[in-house]
Amino acid sequence: MRTIDEVLKSKINGMHYGNRLLLPFCAEILKVSIEDDLIMDFSTEQDDAEYNINDEFTEIYFHKYKSLEEVVTKYEVIKMIVVESGSDLFNFNDHRKVSIDILPNHIAEIKEIEDDQIFID
Amino acid sequence: MLKKIIYLFFFLSVGTPLFASTEDGAKLIEYWYIVLPFVVLLLMIATGPLFYHHFWERHYPKVAIALGSVTVLFYLIVLHDTHSLVHTLAEYLSFIALLSSLFVASGGILIKVDRKATPALNVLILLFGSVISNVIGTTGASMLLIRPFIKINKDRIKPYHIVFFIFSVSNIGGALTPIGDPPLFLGFLRGVEFFWVVQHVWYIWAPTLLVVLGIFFVIDSLNKLGSNSENEYTGKIQFKGLKNIWFLVIIIISVFLDPGVVSWIPSLSPMPFGIREIIMFSVVYFSYKKADQEALRGNEFDFEPIREVAYLFAGLFATMIPALQLIAYEANIFGDELDAGLFFWATGSLSAFLDNAPTYLNFLSAEMGKFAMDVNDKSEVLLFEIEHPIYLQAISVAAVFFGAMSYIGNAPNFMVKSISERAGIQMPSFFGFMVKYSIPILLPIFILIWWIFFYGNG
Repeated sequence: MRTIDEVLKSKINGMHYGNRLLLPFCAEILKVSIEDDLIMDFSTEQDDAEYNINDEFTEIYFHKYKSLEEVVTKYEVIKMIVVESGSDLFNFNDHRKVSIDILPNHIAEIKEIEDDQIFID
Repeated sequence: MLKKIIYLFFFLSVGTPLFASTEDGAKLIEYWYIVLPFVVLLLMIATGPLFYHHFWERHYPKVAIALGSVTVLFYLIVLHDTHSLVHTLAEYLSFIALLSSLFVASGGILIKVDRKATPALNVLILLFGSVISNVIGTTGASMLLIRPFIKINKDRIKPYHIVFFIFSVSNIGGALTPIGDPPLFLGFLRGVEFFWVVQHVWYIWAPTLLVVLGIFFVIDSLNKLGSNSENEYTGKIQFKGLKNIWFLVIIIISVFLDPGVVSWIPSLSPMPFGIREIIMFSVVYFSYKKADQEALRGNEFDFEPIREVAYLFAGLFATMIPALQLIAYEANIFGDELDAGLFFWATGSLSAFLDNAPTYLNFLSAEMGKFAMDVNDKSEVLLFEIEHPIYLQAISVAAVFFGAMSYIGNAPNFMVKSISERAGIQMPSFFGFMVKYSIPILLPIFILIWWIFFYGNG
């Protein structure tokens, strides 16, 4: 299982297929900003999004959208706050802010959120 | 009083022609139902994003164009009136040229501020934003300043920061010039002199802003979040994409390039646009093509907000043609009973929930109809602003100020909300915004404005 640090350091990309985003690390997802939506409720009662942590990756389904490529434009990113599996969820220092660029050919480029891209925990 | 308000609201909400006086209006009386597309579109704009947003997000362009087409076809086939359509098309092109050029040019400028936020610094930023919104529009100023405002407050940000930003920079601030807010620009296009607004509104604008920012200062001073933050600040302010300032200057200069304002500017008639619009649309193209990529990325630039405005206003401009003509027609009937205070509340109440630009134009038409004047005649608009300034003042102030009452009152409100949520800030709901903020804070201020400036006048 890759860590978030390894993914960021080695610039390992995630993938997107339609409304499904695959991240090459395992993490709890606390908050996602996509388009005009700020998603924090991943419960089954909401139909905005759901995520699953698998052995080697984390997958998110954005039910509201058909295709992430159509929704997230050239200058936009998906922003999220994640906590690596095994880390202390309740320690704010373990909360990582990452941005995802949706690129052609199913590539989802993962970066640490830059200073310009404000994302409040 | 209540009866008169009910008359006004009844007209604008149901579409029944209560006002009439021009020839066009007389012809329209028997076809009063042609204002229904306008009413339907306004209601859908108000309710779509709240109650059926999935449908609205996908289909609003089709809805706006379809409703607009109903009115256009009616004018072509039933009334054989192409003049009203061409006149409206020209006005729409001027309107969208200004908004889109300000939006794109300011979207290419990124301001980075690395300073610790204090209540005083926040007030200064809001005041600065309010002033410059008169130069680059409330949309431009909001786009430019909301991110640096969030960033310097990142350790202590709360929804009220954004709410007061919407109150001041996105709305009240822009009441001094026609560039400031779309309703005033529509007034300018109809013939209101450019500097009339600042001359007649500044002494209402200044104390209102002072009170709003004073309240903000008190609330912000009580916010102790982030006071123990160990972050270090360099105090630097950095700009990216500053070359776009030149594009903003070009836009501002081009506003005056109207054959009616500057005699040597050639008219391109019968084309429904002029030199001004060509320049503004060129600015849209070049300011985007030449923009600093890092600035666009930092601003998370997206054409969607301006695309939405372009489609919705295409529908609004078309569907409101009969509404304007009918209002002008029957304003004579109730003319004696309608005073400036009433126009203040009627314009304000509708501007809070419907778009403030068409609302302003409808009530300008009604006010002028009261004095048997025609809003489509520039010389009569000029005469109206000289002879009855209190009426124009009432709707100018109300249309701009009340835009801050809800998320849907003015285009930048939703943009600021959206940018803030993208920055991870959980904003209040539509009703939360009103119940917690705009009604308790703004409404008492607006009642005071009415009492001091308009009560019993006109």
